[in-house]
Amino acid sequence: MLKSLRFRLNGKLVEIEGREEQPVLDWLRDDTGLTGTREGCREGDCGACLALLGRRNLEGTGIEWVPAATCLLALGELDGRALITVEGLAVEGPTPVMRALHVENASQCGFCSPGVAVALSHFLLAEGPRDEAAAVASVEGNLCRCTGYASISRAARALSSDFSGLPLDFPTRLAALAARGVFPPALAATMQDLPEPASADPGGSPPLGSSPPIGGGTDWYVRNTDPAPGLSPRFVGRDPELRFIETRGSGDGATLALGAGVTVADFFASEAVRAAAPGIERFEALVASPHIRARATLAGNIANASPVADLTAMLLALDARLVLSGASGARELALADFFLGYKKTALDGDGIIETILLPAAPRAFSFEKAARRERLDIAAVNTALSLAVDSGGAMRGVIVSAGGVGPVPLLLRKAAAALEGRKPSAHAFREAMEAARAEVAPISDVRGSAEFRKRVLGRLLAAHALRLFPGGFSVEELLA
Amino acid sequence: MKDRSDRSALAAVRFDSGDRPESLRNLTGATKYLDDLPEAANLLHAAVVPSPSGHGRRLRVDASKARELDPSVLVLLADSIPGENQMGTAVDDEPLLAEGEWHYAGQPVALVLASSKRLARAAAALVRVTGEELPVVTDPREAFAKGQLILKPRVQSSGDLAAAFRTEEQGGAARWIVEGRAESGGQEHVYLETQGAIAEPVDGGLRLISGTQAPSGVQKAVARVLGIPMRELEVEAMRLGGAFGGKEDQAAPWAALAALGAWVTGRPVKLVLSRRDDLRMTGKRHPYSTDFRLALDAEGKFLGLELDFYQNAGAACDLSPAIIARSLYHAAGAYRIPAVRAAGYMCRTNLPPFTAFRGFGAPQAIWAMEAAVSKAAEATGIPALELQRRNLLREGDLTHYGMKMEDCRAGRAFELLLSRNPAARLKAEIDDFNAAHGDRKRGSWVIPLAFGVSFTKLMMNQGGALVHVFNDGSVSVSTGAVEMGQGVGRKVLVVAARTLGVPENLVRIERTRTATVANTMPTAASTGSDINGAAALAACEEIRKRLLAFAATVLGAPEDELSLGNGLVLRGGRDAGLAWKDLVAKAHEARVDLSAHGFYATPGLFYDMKAERGSPFAYHVYGAALVVAELDTLRGSSRIVRADLVHDGGVPIDALVDRGQIEGAFAQGLGWAILEDLVYGKDGKLLSDTLSTYKLPDMKFMDFPIDIELLDDAANAKAVLGSKAVGEPPFQYGIAGYFAVLEALKAARPGAGGFFDLPLTQEKALRFLDGGN
Repeated sequence: MLKSLRFRLNGKLVEIEGREEQPVLDWLRDDTGLTGTREGCREGDCGACLALLGRRNLEGTGIEWVPAATCLLALGELDGRALITVEGLAVEGPTPVMRALHVENASQCGFCSPGVAVALSHFLLAEGPRDEAAAVASVEGNLCRCTGYASISRAARALSSDFSGLPLDFPTRLAALAARGVFPPALAATMQDLPEPASADPGGSPPLGSSPPIGGGTDWYVRNTDPAPGLSPRFVGRDPELRFIETRGSGDGATLALGAGVTVADFFASEAVRAAAPGIERFEALVASPHIRARATLAGNIANASPVADLTAMLLALDARLVLSGASGARELALADFFLGYKKTALDGDGIIETILLPAAPRAFSFEKAARRERLDIAAVNTALSLAVDSGGAMRGVIVSAGGVGPVPLLLRKAAAALEGRKPSAHAFREAMEAARAEVAPISDVRGSAEFRKRVLGRLLAAHALRLFPGGFSVEELLA
Repeated sequence: MKDRSDRSALAAVRFDSGDRPESLRNLTGATKYLDDLPEAANLLHAAVVPSPSGHGRRLRVDASKARELDPSVLVLLADSIPGENQMGTAVDDEPLLAEGEWHYAGQPVALVLASSKRLARAAAALVRVTGEELPVVTDPREAFAKGQLILKPRVQSSGDLAAAFRTEEQGGAARWIVEGRAESGGQEHVYLETQGAIAEPVDGGLRLISGTQAPSGVQKAVARVLGIPMRELEVEAMRLGGAFGGKEDQAAPWAALAALGAWVTGRPVKLVLSRRDDLRMTGKRHPYSTDFRLALDAEGKFLGLELDFYQNAGAACDLSPAIIARSLYHAAGAYRIPAVRAAGYMCRTNLPPFTAFRGFGAPQAIWAMEAAVSKAAEATGIPALELQRRNLLREGDLTHYGMKMEDCRAGRAFELLLSRNPAARLKAEIDDFNAAHGDRKRGSWVIPLAFGVSFTKLMMNQGGALVHVFNDGSVSVSTGAVEMGQGVGRKVLVVAARTLGVPENLVRIERTRTATVANTMPTAASTGSDINGAAALAACEEIRKRLLAFAATVLGAPEDELSLGNGLVLRGGRDAGLAWKDLVAKAHEARVDLSAHGFYATPGLFYDMKAERGSPFAYHVYGAALVVAELDTLRGSSRIVRADLVHDGGVPIDALVDRGQIEGAFAQGLGWAILEDLVYGKDGKLLSDTLSTYKLPDMKFMDFPIDIELLDDAANAKAVLGSKAVGEPPFQYGIAGYFAVLEALKAARPGAGGFFDLPLTQEKALRFLDGGN
């Protein structure tokens, strides 16, 4: 519905009455004439519509800039925030990022080029590693059908070396980038704070009849590409009160609490999460793409109830519980009990998943995914496994999850039982693989046949075994 | 061109970053594609209502709900078409809007016009289309069995086939005969910019901006639909956001629908397809099912080849006859085979009309031939590399359609690739890795290339150009070429600048307009720069001739001593004291014509359709590629480890452009071979109908070293400035990816024979690893 919105666009304050449910992409193209942001797929898969979104960081201590697919970003999300499009970057002419791409002839038809330039500009601005691999990974959310990526890769690598000495702390880094024109100085001067929102309630309107809760919107807008005017979503993902990761309690019973606004990127970056599931960060790249991870929420991934939701598979294996709010008040239940049937959940009415709870005690963890493409693809089958090993070397508290093998994300209880209390052996895992295949009833669809899903599920369990007990047994033994 | 990680390689390429303002416009977001243009206040947005299923009759359309949504919504059906309801060019089998019957899911049925895109699409979704369902055929062999052929089969043959397949036991020379079936899937273009057009009434006619590779084709198609002369229509193509063949014939329906809307309403109309509509309504690369049979003698020499191509043509003819022709021409790949029979069957199914896509029938043929080589290597025990080497095309060879191979570089390219990757070293590289790893296996494959350049339809090998030199010395060049990222504008610009001897920044390449250069052919078949570059060259030469004659009078020098270069008139190669700008200004004063039209018709082409003999190509592009793949034997997934390409690019007009074409085509080829899975249901509905279900190569998929070496001393006498066409040939290198993964699979399951079912997905790999196929 129409709402007063105040935000910065390319450094300039904008105050409008805007349709809060409208995708920012349409608003940019139709209402402001900023057509460098383009529609390639309208489902977050191509990156042609990328812009930079400035928002409060997780800690609430300052601002962070993230890449955002504007086809999946509601105009209402911009209230009290800032957006930079390719035109804002290029206001004083081609930036060093654009020139690096230009020198490599990395723009052929050019349709995807602004999105690529935005992604690489973000790479230089963001925290994190600056090596060539990181530079290349920063464009994993951008499709290009012309170049075959080799020239884009060369440009990305060149940028990573040309900007290798960037300062680590944000203000100094931003100043350095401004000095070199990656961000025009006048724009950079606006990039360290955010305007006051025009709306008093930063979490969105109070629930109405047609008030869908939206986390990051990265799933919701795929299904609702052009929401009807008048809709008033509740933007759960932008409520600072709901974006937190904290440890509650202490000792063995300590729990990690993750708020509804926690993004996938927040999750993998969290030291507490990494302590609870050592090595979990290595699976981050298998989930969506950088710009989706920056905006998709854990709670949204769960509430969307896709049978192949990657984060859900991980959280199931991490023994997650949910705190739901709704008409009947707050209640807590196990994540596994949240799914009632295909796309049916325990949420009622306008209820939301307020908090996700995880045991904080460290557990060995593994995640596997079979998809057509390694990056930015939806799984045909995914699975996660967590366990502890007792002093006698036996596996304890084994949890196995799997997606894509039933109408909802599943706990594979029989597979887990086949491992519980036993010492890790090829034999035990073969039995678990057998049990897993027996307890699922997948269907065939565009991502793979039922037969394939069963076949690959067993092999992904074997992959868990090899990862968690390296040197313990061979592929041949597991597949014997 | 060197290793991609070697940035110093740039130094070897002549390049001035000021050369390509269009690239900087792209990168800054300033480039306008047709959907980026400002919209007139009275512009109507259009959306298309598709057929409800794969096949049916007694079509009924109920638009009442759409009109209820908003009374201003207009819904146009076939009966509002003033001219012919027909888009077919080779065969009249493709109505613009379905009437009575429909033949594929996604076939346009109605056009919806509304004041906003949102409203148009919402209204289109409310139009109810019903009818009586008819049986759906999606498999080309089933269609063939039912006699559903678009045109009669086409067969090329050469040599004594019966003798070639006579075994040693039968007194012949054939030691081995291998046969099998090679399946290849379709491929979605995924041009990042979807199909679209804007039509605007102007002075009693229409002006169209169409996202097309064929502005004249759109002009002709729209004139037929509206029943008006072509002169009443001007069609302009702006820069396209990718096309790859998908906008050759299949841009026309959307332009015709926009034109219909504008004609009926008198208002500008814009039609831009959503990605989902584009995916389900447009044709893609043809799926083929091919039977192969290859005879070899004791030395592994190819004696005879039989290929039967069952082409899944979809529901309408479209470009299928020209595509099957290219399949037939490329049946023997880069090999010399004395006896060949190649037959092509254009099978009519209930899928969208399949259409042009980079390679245009050649990939499907080269794939099947290479499957035969793979099977022959298994049967004979002779390494595939050795079979390939012994059977490569040589200078003076006659192809099975009677063309003499001249300036044949197949062997040169192959040997250069092997000198970079000696067979023994390559084998050791793979074997050592495989011996050391249980959970991973590697495989490699080399593919040789000989790709014929010219349109397979002879009359299409023509093009025009119009060049104006303005009296300030700046130059405007128009041709029929459409820029879609392939760099044809850049190449034409270089041709013009070099011919007129002026700095490149004096030259501007205009958008492609039918009223400027008429009767143009699609920018396709890799010929864009050959034909349009040559036409521009002809026009520039005409102007140069006039200017030099004029300069001779001004300077009082013999004309044959004068030339143009570096923005100057040169005499004996040295500054004659007359700058280009002054020459032009003076010539204008003296009433010298500073404009010229150029025309080019590719010489030397002929083909006898009855005898299936002739010389249909101006020349061939040669090359060879090595692809090394690695299989995860546990998960069944695979990745490419490295690739080495030796490519015959002639003398590139712009080496950076050609490198981009080679890399991009290779990625598309690899995608077709091992990743992209176009899935239709038995009901004819597209299942991979979003970019979340249809996966094309991304950065990670292509994140491996690619070495490219261009053949040197490679000037081509048959094309402009010694260059060679580059768009399609390197696509074929990606086919090696299939066989590299297959070799890795065979290493993981010793003794098992290969299978030929492209793309080689994880699902198929796992089935094989578990003992299947």
